[in-house]
Amino acid sequence: MAIVEQEPLALPAGEPSRSARPLGVFSRPRNTTGLKNWLTSVDHKKIGIMYGVASLFFLLWGGVPALLIRLQLARPNQGLLSGDAYNQIFTMHGTVMVFLVVMPMGAAFANYLLPLQIGARDVAFPRINAFSFWVFLAGGIMLNTSWFLGGGPDGGWFNYAPNNGIAYSPGIGIDFWNVALMIAGFGSLTGAVNLITTVLNMRAPGMTWMRLPVFTWMTLVTQFLLLFAIPVLTVAQLLLLFDRRFDGNFFNVAQGADPLLWQHLFWIFGHPEVYLMILPAFGIVSEVIPAFARKPIFGYPFMVFSGIAIGFMGWGVWAHHMFVSGIGPLSVTAFAVATMFIAVPTGVKVLNWMATLWGGKLILNTAMLFSIGLVTQFTLGGLSGVSHAIAPADTQQTDTYYIVAHFHYVLFGGALFGFYSGLYFWWPKAFGYKLNEKIGKWNFWTMVLGFNLTFGPMHILGLQGMPRRMQTYDTSQGFNTWNMWATIGSFILAFATLSILYNALVSYLGWRRAGRPNPGPDPWDARSLEWSIQSPTPEHNFDVTPTVTSLDDWWYHKYQEDENGVLRRVASSKELAQPGNGEGVHLPAPSYWPIIVAFSLPIIGYGLIFSLWLCIPGVFLLLAAMYGWSLEPADDLDQDHHSEPEPELAQTHG
Amino acid sequence: MAEAIIDQAATPVADEHHEGHYTSLGLSNMKLAMWLFLGSEVLLFGALISTYLLSKTRFLTELVAGNPEVVAGISNDENAELVNEMITKGSVEPLFDIPFTSLSSFILLMSSLTMVLAHKSVTEGNYKNLRIWLSTTMLLGATFMAGQVYEFTTFYREGLTYDGSLLGTAFYTLTGFHGAHVTGGLIMLGSLIYLSFKGRMQKDRAETVELVGLYWHFVDIVWVLIFTIVYLIH
Amino acid sequence: MQLVKSRTKWLAGAGGLPVGLLLAGCADETKPLNTFNPQGPRAELIDNLIQPIFLIAAVIGVAVVGGAIVLTIKNRVKPDDFDPDDFPAQTHGNPTLEWGWTAAPAVLLAGISVFTVFAIWDLEETNAPGGGIAGGGELDVMVIGQQWWWEYRYDVDGDGFFEDVNGNGVLNTTDEWDPADAEWPLEIALDDDDVSVANEMVIPAGEQIDLSITSRDVIHSFWIPRLNGKRDAVPGRVHSWNFVADTPGEYTGWCTEYCGLSHARMRMNVIALERDEFNRWLANQSRVADIPSEDTEAAAGRQIFQQQCASCHIIWEEGIGQDALYGRDFEAALTAKAAPNLTHFATRSVMAGAIYSTFVGLDANTNDLQPGNRNDRYLDEYLELPSFIPEENDQLGELRWNRPQLKRWIKNAPSQKDMAPEDLRGMPAFPGLTDSELDQLIAYLATLD
Repeated sequence: MAIVEQEPLALPAGEPSRSARPLGVFSRPRNTTGLKNWLTSVDHKKIGIMYGVASLFFLLWGGVPALLIRLQLARPNQGLLSGDAYNQIFTMHGTVMVFLVVMPMGAAFANYLLPLQIGARDVAFPRINAFSFWVFLAGGIMLNTSWFLGGGPDGGWFNYAPNNGIAYSPGIGIDFWNVALMIAGFGSLTGAVNLITTVLNMRAPGMTWMRLPVFTWMTLVTQFLLLFAIPVLTVAQLLLLFDRRFDGNFFNVAQGADPLLWQHLFWIFGHPEVYLMILPAFGIVSEVIPAFARKPIFGYPFMVFSGIAIGFMGWGVWAHHMFVSGIGPLSVTAFAVATMFIAVPTGVKVLNWMATLWGGKLILNTAMLFSIGLVTQFTLGGLSGVSHAIAPADTQQTDTYYIVAHFHYVLFGGALFGFYSGLYFWWPKAFGYKLNEKIGKWNFWTMVLGFNLTFGPMHILGLQGMPRRMQTYDTSQGFNTWNMWATIGSFILAFATLSILYNALVSYLGWRRAGRPNPGPDPWDARSLEWSIQSPTPEHNFDVTPTVTSLDDWWYHKYQEDENGVLRRVASSKELAQPGNGEGVHLPAPSYWPIIVAFSLPIIGYGLIFSLWLCIPGVFLLLAAMYGWSLEPADDLDQDHHSEPEPELAQTHG
Repeated sequence: MAEAIIDQAATPVADEHHEGHYTSLGLSNMKLAMWLFLGSEVLLFGALISTYLLSKTRFLTELVAGNPEVVAGISNDENAELVNEMITKGSVEPLFDIPFTSLSSFILLMSSLTMVLAHKSVTEGNYKNLRIWLSTTMLLGATFMAGQVYEFTTFYREGLTYDGSLLGTAFYTLTGFHGAHVTGGLIMLGSLIYLSFKGRMQKDRAETVELVGLYWHFVDIVWVLIFTIVYLIH
Repeated sequence: MQLVKSRTKWLAGAGGLPVGLLLAGCADETKPLNTFNPQGPRAELIDNLIQPIFLIAAVIGVAVVGGAIVLTIKNRVKPDDFDPDDFPAQTHGNPTLEWGWTAAPAVLLAGISVFTVFAIWDLEETNAPGGGIAGGGELDVMVIGQQWWWEYRYDVDGDGFFEDVNGNGVLNTTDEWDPADAEWPLEIALDDDDVSVANEMVIPAGEQIDLSITSRDVIHSFWIPRLNGKRDAVPGRVHSWNFVADTPGEYTGWCTEYCGLSHARMRMNVIALERDEFNRWLANQSRVADIPSEDTEAAAGRQIFQQQCASCHIIWEEGIGQDALYGRDFEAALTAKAAPNLTHFATRSVMAGAIYSTFVGLDANTNDLQPGNRNDRYLDEYLELPSFIPEENDQLGELRWNRPQLKRWIKNAPSQKDMAPEDLRGMPAFPGLTDSELDQLIAYLATLD
């Protein structure tokens, strides 16, 4: 189970190590702390934390445009933002929130927790894991440099053709959108391959499919969605790239092209995208609610299979984004009915969470409140979602603020509430101290208030006919009152969103002042394997690979049910937890190459936008770095092998 | 993407000759990852082929209807006869040289066979044969690529430019993408040959050869699809 | 327990509040775009379909959200009462129950989908091209979206053709319409009898209007919420759509597919008139424009128009027939250089993408003209006018030309509405025009009744 990398190709077979640097490739960096270690680390926990930090940063970064939008729309006929600026700002708000906040936030939890929940030392390909993160970050940074290099993209996050063409958007903003997201997409794709392989292949002995924690299951479904959805978006973006940079005709109506091609490709990606944004949050809530209701998740198999069902059905509903595009009544009928029924597995999840609450003894701390927040807020978004499936009604609702309200209820009220719940829940596991509960509750209640005040009125605005993506409106249209309320709400919401950072700081300082007390391995008395090891997680995760005998294995080490279903304590977490002294564990060394390969891609990207000559050094660096990667020794060969690898676990999988 | 292939070099390998690491599915991580990557590639080519089919249909409809911009887009000084034939037949078939492309397709398919033989050689420890078969595979792949380059220049001269028509854009993008995949495969084959000469591609790394083979077969299968859909069905 | 009960009641009330607000919003007739205020059979069909579904959704929403809150309050354990060894019953699930709540929503949704499918096909039947349109509608209108205004072409002679510039009868709405027959971009001149107007569509009330919706550049969406749902205007495609306005009146709409720079300023107006009034309007629109007599201010304005404006705008005159191009640059048509036909500009109540009123009322206090935003509409007066011909150059009954706004617009349109004339998208500024030249131009425009 240990992540022992094979002898490198740079050495002849059979020769495990050599003191010289083979083929002139660097030895691997050996720092375990400091900036260099963060840049070169292949540790899934550090990568997970970096994903989290980056996505929280982008959450604030993408929130600024949101506030500007709300300020501009607070009153009718305001001139705070010109039409051009407004279009760039709403485009970047959507793009940043989808691709640089919600997706990587899911990746943050997946990276940190997946190996821990299945009892593994790391992911299957640690260096590819680092690459996935750095390439996401490189794409994200590149996208945002558009602000300084000629203006942001102005086509909307959906970027419909032919408005995204060079004739209608002659600036380079759309090229940034196109190329940077393609680059970030590589990260999602390699991440998906990596995490699927990890779950499929690196489960601890006895960790059978129906013993996987629900979060692991939901993440697995998410990664499969990414694996198949990202290439479709990549194709759409390639077509657009060829059209814009090399005079292609894919969306050139004058040459007979059909602009609906873009919509089909985009939404074949875009609808699975919707589910892959929400499923990790569903997973988080399915971990948090049982922990604090102090009873198992209600209907585990239904939770798992409804998640899988969502994963499959998510591929058959994309055209409900196109009910007014003129796709013909037959398609409209088929997709309307399909969309209707995707509500079923989602409804099952909500009812199972409520059944878990039923008869529980609930500990209402911040993590639990955010989870219950998801159950309630997401349900509202889900219900408004069903009304989109009513295709005739959708011809009135689509592209109005009703839609804006709907997807903020599912993405903010769903995904982000879930992520906040997860942050409060797993914070002590990652950092060794709990977040402050008092500030946490403020955080929750201001968020509920701000969220509903911001997005609740948008339902009404939309049904009263206010279209989306509108830079301004007139008094005669009667949208003034609710827009003002939404703007007030958005500032409360911004305050609430920020307060988790304040909480982290205050909690950290308090913890330091108190002499850094350890919260213990299992501060919440929770259920899955990550709580069976010390907090913060030791670098090697598990001293000994656990052997799993049931669902919620860790819980049933602590407690046992008698025949009446009454629990009896067997042992305490402290007695049972692994001590964290990983003698003789051999971990993959850090590496320079993932970050170098990742940052060679934006060089090629800038080349595609500004001058193809720039692609040459980019491609050269990419190839060189890939060769460096493949020839890199498994370990720092200047160091001695200080310990023997852990003996292999011989038993087969049960 | 390509990194996934590179990483195989430094990660655990399990096969009957080598004490592999424990995996839940009993399949090595690399092999599993390669299958997943190829699964993702199916969607990539699926979207590209769909795009081609849609674009070709739209192009032909407009061409037959006599849309002057579309006709102008495919016409040059010398190809009036060809364009007329396309209009009367309502098909892109007059552009293609089916016997030539059939031959180059056959060559590419043969390279799959030699790739299998290369893998067989390495599992048997016959490193000389390994190099012979890898080189043959590479040669056949390169021949195919040369054929494609020749074909592109011919089409270009016949009036099918990249930016002139919807058909040109879609055709060159689809076949060019496949060509790029073949080129990637050639680089991998070259790397294997180099490593074999250095004595670093032996029995215990047979899986590396197998993985490159998987990729190579996939690229071949995609070509079979493209050849059928683009060249044979019009 | 008592506490819980009273809380439950309160929660039900709280849950009902947003629903109540929503319904209050429904009743609001002061919102010109309100989707809950249907004024025609298509919009009514949609409204009748969605209202009960909203009600069901509200009930479910209150039940689930309220249920979750009640469960939370009922089952919570205060930190002081927490006993780590006191566990609730460890239920793992109940397959019967779970199958039940898998099946129940599925059955409910199946029921809803039956009504949905019927509604889709009901709407589609009347929207269908060919037979549907010819069977239902008296009037065929081609709706052409472009950055950032709408053009409406009326098939006045009812021959079903909107001819293209080469005289090919391609846009035939009486047969199955095949987009392959169209030449692109849509360089459509009209039959001699057909008319073209911009920004404002005038229709007879109580009659079905058959629309053929398309676009010259990017995707737009045509939406008059009180008459029907929206339908995208996609370049290269023509979509059929229709509506009926039950009563005379003004129905506003807004482009609802993001279409670039001035998407927020691409609105539309539909004015429904009684049939005889509509006939009068149509007869007037079918005339060519009068040429102002020489040595008038208007004649000078006409000269300026021909020098400065005519490369984009067309005004049909005797001798400049409706099939003539009048110098229009069709190379640029795809980038929306094609600009509104101004032949009867003075009869339109809105201009510039329907964001400004062409006419304004006098401010009762100051006797000044109101600013150009469409905050005040004088539709009633507009509709009551004996004809659409102003009595004097700049006065129309109690209404006056929105002269200040018109001046600002002609002088520097991009400062009034985001446009990109440098990329041939929208109207450029004319900084060279002097004040008196502007007056002359406006005097000419005022003759275009």
